[in-house]
Amino acid sequence: MERRERFAIAVVLLILIGLPAAALGYQYWLRPALSSTRMIDIRAAAPEAGGFQPDAIQVNAGETVTLRFSSTDVTQGIAIGPGLGIDLGHVDPGQVKEITLTFDHAGTYTFYCNSWCSPDHWRMRGIVQVDDPANPGALPTSQRDPVIEALIAEGVDIDDNVHTDDHPLPVISLDRVPSVARGEMLTSTVNVPADLQNAAWRRSHSPAQALDLLIADNPSMGRAELADVIAYLWSGGLSAEQITAAQTLYNKNCAACHGETGAGDGPVASSTENNPVIFADAGYMFTRRDDVLYAKIRRGGMGTDMPNFGTLFTQDETWALVNYLRSFSGTGQGPLGDAH
Amino acid sequence: MVTPSRINLLERLPLLKTILKSRAFQPVLMLITLFVFVLAILTGLFGTPAGSRNFNIIFVWIVWWALLIIVMVPFFGRLWCAICPIPAPGEWLQRRGIIQRRTGRLLTLNRRWPRRLKNMWLQNFGFLGVAMFSTIILTRPSVSAWVLFSFLLVGVMLSAVYKNRIFCRYVCPVGGFIGLYSMLSPVELRVEDQGICASHTTKDCITGNEHGYGCPWMVFPGNLTRNTYCGLCVECLKTCPKNNIVINLRPFGSDLMVAKERRLDEAYKAFIMLGCALLYSVVLLGPWGWLKNWANMDTLPHWAIYAAAFLAINLLVLPGLFWLVTVASRRLSGQAVPLRRLFVDYAYTLVPLGLSGWIAFSLGFVLVNGSYALGVVSDPFGWGWNLFGTAQAGWTPLWPTLTAFLQVGTLTAGLLFSVNTAYKIARQNSQDHRLAFLATLPVTGFLTLVTLGFLRLYLG
Repeated sequence: MERRERFAIAVVLLILIGLPAAALGYQYWLRPALSSTRMIDIRAAAPEAGGFQPDAIQVNAGETVTLRFSSTDVTQGIAIGPGLGIDLGHVDPGQVKEITLTFDHAGTYTFYCNSWCSPDHWRMRGIVQVDDPANPGALPTSQRDPVIEALIAEGVDIDDNVHTDDHPLPVISLDRVPSVARGEMLTSTVNVPADLQNAAWRRSHSPAQALDLLIADNPSMGRAELADVIAYLWSGGLSAEQITAAQTLYNKNCAACHGETGAGDGPVASSTENNPVIFADAGYMFTRRDDVLYAKIRRGGMGTDMPNFGTLFTQDETWALVNYLRSFSGTGQGPLGDAH
Repeated sequence: MVTPSRINLLERLPLLKTILKSRAFQPVLMLITLFVFVLAILTGLFGTPAGSRNFNIIFVWIVWWALLIIVMVPFFGRLWCAICPIPAPGEWLQRRGIIQRRTGRLLTLNRRWPRRLKNMWLQNFGFLGVAMFSTIILTRPSVSAWVLFSFLLVGVMLSAVYKNRIFCRYVCPVGGFIGLYSMLSPVELRVEDQGICASHTTKDCITGNEHGYGCPWMVFPGNLTRNTYCGLCVECLKTCPKNNIVINLRPFGSDLMVAKERRLDEAYKAFIMLGCALLYSVVLLGPWGWLKNWANMDTLPHWAIYAAAFLAINLLVLPGLFWLVTVASRRLSGQAVPLRRLFVDYAYTLVPLGLSGWIAFSLGFVLVNGSYALGVVSDPFGWGWNLFGTAQAGWTPLWPTLTAFLQVGTLTAGLLFSVNTAYKIARQNSQDHRLAFLATLPVTGFLTLVTLGFLRLYLG
């Protein structure tokens, strides 16, 4: 056999056997073997096409792992929470984004999509189970939330605001949209009851309840002015960074349904089971207690398309988000606070 | 003897002749394309399902397609068939060698290919079969990979059963239209003197000799008058002891005037190709999302309706309309030629317009999406590799403002070429200029309407 014939046969064998072996062997065996960290590939597809694969991974506390996210069909936004501050941004179809991280503490974390990817977008979640190497196999303890427990004990129905065409939002009448700025100027001229000065009290009472108290203590003042004072009192005390973070969380996770200005007119609002509530409606927001809004965000809405975010956000992030929601109707200190 | 309008390239470029006569020439190119082909199958099967990041979709349906339809077929005819990797494994197994010329018979069961299938009909229906699923094949890497793999498998199986390149000649859905459109190519393989072939008793180009194999395309070069069934493998150049094989440069579309070889199966290939170019433009580039969903098999009933309409338009509507055009042409000119013959003759006028339609259609997505090639060449599987540092290359449409001009220019050139062809064909049936002109009018109207249809789709 000629030398060039032998060479050609060798090339054919290289193509038919060597090429597949090299490509697949490198990707599935050599590459992970050469990596200094454990590599975990997570494929994301629209929920209707399977969501995250795998949707649950296990790592040990203190172990450094590399999570490689890819999307197979639509653009996803990949974040991991709560409390890790990890947001990989958009992952386009066919794109791979990776992050190398170490989970310091045992617990349960969630990787999730924060970019509207499909009507079942909220199902785009996966779990990182971080085990304690000293206590392998221990079942995770459920995280207690005293705020929600207190509401249950109090018998508060946090789902009383289901918003349909037949069931409008509960609202109180206000003469005008309250203004934090006006309220701040008026506060020194108003007799503010002690309860209203207590942050814990404010969280467990609605602005409407507070307004009644304020009117009783200040009979000579106009209701609209006193509503401004309430708006100021409910405007929280968040730093600029916290407000920006809350705004980012809102825009990525809430705006698709509730709209960027809280008007309940997000791009997918029409496809939800019930109408998204309207945070920009001051009359409605005055009926809402902060702790109820908090609970709703963390637990989700029963019988509605409102997903739970308690596994994605920290409690502080949730409180900041509550405050941001108030800014849409003038009662918060967010960037939209006095826009209305 | 080379006709005056031909330039013998082998005479002008002796180095080209040396290269082509080398037994290594074709296998080397086939090995390169086989590498790309195997990579395309692998990436399709194991890579990302996202077509825009998968080597399979980008390199097969954009890069290869663009090279084939915009460069190779119009300018080099069946050159692709000479280097196509699909028949390569089967052919190498038949020959029991890749480069070396092995003596003895081809390793095959040596069955006889059915006479009734010795035409383009199988390729016509094969192309339609693939075309009906094209929206799926062109966008899903795994489906595309299985299709490519099945081509390879069928090629090997047919090589095991039948002698020579039965797959290429009678089965390959791509080979059919390459053959049809290669009639336009300015490159041809012919014999210099047909008399030499006629008197040559051993016919080495058919039987083969120590320098090469008998024509794997089962073509006798001595009778070759068109490019349609010559795969440009140049085995005959190697085997011809009379040094009678030439490769000529010639005017575009010369084969369209070869009247005696016109056939209904080829005519239908022209309808199918024109119809598919129009329908692809409607489905893939048009603004009708619902139609794309139907073609994409959003539901089986939707796809069934789409497929039925697709077949009806290609096999009945377009040929039916053209039949009426032929009837009008015959009546206007008073030609006594049988209607069926006229129908087949004039169908060849669709060849230039059909190819220009395909080029215009291809320009529409090749220029827009070609830049994906930079990314996938570095990350062919979409696994996050970066082999050449271009994995992050963004999507950059090329000359978006020029695309429409190029499409208009291509279609206009195709229309003019087709009209000119129609007139020349009419003159073959009538020596009278006026009658030929009249005969051409209905055909010209049809061609113009089709062109306007393309332009409407591309220009909005």
